[in-house]
Amino acid sequence: MNADEWLRVFAAELHQRRVAADAARHVVAEAATHLREGGGDPWLVFGPPQAYAATIVESIGTVPGPRPGPVRLDARGITKRYGRRTVLRDAALTVRAGQIAAVVGANGCGKSTFLRICAGLVSPDAGEVTVSGRLGFCPQQGGTADFLLPDEHFVLVGAGQGVAREPARRAGRAAARQLGWDAQGDVLARHLSGGTRQKLNLTMSTLAEPDVLLLDEPYQGFDQGSYVNLWDQLIRLRDAGRAIVVVTHLLNQLDRVDVVLDLTPAHQGGHS
Amino acid sequence: MRRLVTVAEMTLRELARRRGVLLLLLLMPLVFWMIRRDTYVGQSIRALLLGISWAVSTAALFATSAARELEPRLRLAGYRPHHLYLGRMLGLWALGLAVSVPFFLLTVFDAANLRYAGIAVAMLCCVAVAAPFGMLIGALLPRELEGTLLLLTVVAMQMLLDPASPGARLTPFWSSREIATWAVDHTDGGYLNRGLLHATLVTVLLIVTVAGVFGVRLRRRRHLHHAPLT
Repeated sequence: MNADEWLRVFAAELHQRRVAADAARHVVAEAATHLREGGGDPWLVFGPPQAYAATIVESIGTVPGPRPGPVRLDARGITKRYGRRTVLRDAALTVRAGQIAAVVGANGCGKSTFLRICAGLVSPDAGEVTVSGRLGFCPQQGGTADFLLPDEHFVLVGAGQGVAREPARRAGRAAARQLGWDAQGDVLARHLSGGTRQKLNLTMSTLAEPDVLLLDEPYQGFDQGSYVNLWDQLIRLRDAGRAIVVVTHLLNQLDRVDVVLDLTPAHQGGHS
Repeated sequence: MRRLVTVAEMTLRELARRRGVLLLLLLMPLVFWMIRRDTYVGQSIRALLLGISWAVSTAALFATSAARELEPRLRLAGYRPHHLYLGRMLGLWALGLAVSVPFFLLTVFDAANLRYAGIAVAMLCCVAVAAPFGMLIGALLPRELEGTLLLLTVVAMQMLLDPASPGARLTPFWSSREIATWAVDHTDGGYLNRGLLHATLVTVLLIVTVAGVFGVRLRRRRHLHHAPLT
């Protein structure tokens, strides 16, 4: 990671930790000046950007996050069986505008099924989901067309909302840039790398400006920079009043979420 | 209307980029036609029509299977089921027509003393039936291999059954055979009328069934309620 990359990750970390924008700009500028004048590897001078951001947060504090708004997603009593096997038993989740919820749990505990039930793509055996506003969904895999260009995906999704081609393309490219991806090229989706394809998947789900965004392990194939960009983007969306549900098995990111639903069965130590 | 046209356009774009598939789409009817060409012109034209039917059905099957994961998210993005299946069908019909044109010209230049309008109508019937037929199989069978085997069974049955037998009328592409007989053998208008009626009925029945299957698969689930945005 070079100095510029280190500064970018550091700035994103400060933003995610809710350091006031002016203060964050000032700290990043100071760090950049120090590196420029003193030289040296930022990892040796300041350490990992995440750790240095944590130190800064301790010393200058953070701005309070916006108060959560009205309930956007309310799932109650969700039970789902596949044959004799019960994968979800009475699961419940309430997410308000301006909140990120994480759905966690062991492999096969029904995280993706729960999300698909919330999206209305799978019917539960019991339970109800109430959604306020527009839904967006990013599946774990698939969800893109192999033989279409990224721009064509944006046009296709945009047309669903009655958005004309050019504005849909512009919106798609702008959303992709937030993830550190330039979506302008003439590369078919099937030729994109796994991580870039997942960025396309994610961009499609945010394109319609959903009020409730459901993401099923959206970071698969992401490198460190893309991963930071993703959380930066999610926190930006949260601050804009969106309700976000992320299925994840990476526990180190849970400090950035507001609500956690653990679907690990009780006998394995989890709780719902 | 924008949604329908966009889905049709993207279907065509996807298929147009599958050059190998396009080549096979053109190759298949050509091979069917060449095999029968030396025996009897009527046989070669019937084989050609069957080849077009098989090719367009297969393209429809693969296009439907490929879109299986994409369609639910398009539904969430504002599309209704009829935008998705009718848009795809429009794209496939357009592709079918594009595939048929060179074969129609082939018959015009290769065989004399035919009712060429009848050949064109028979090809139209093949394309009209094949697109929803392939889509229906693609919607019902999630795996492409199973769908392809079923298509193969239907086309083989169509080829082997005596067209005069009552069972032959239950096969989807019987209409093109009747119309081709009218066009090649200069039979009475009854063949043309029966063919047209059969093609219309089968196409309508298939479209209604496709609509039903897509409507169920992409339905709004009962457990999901939408509250007004506050």
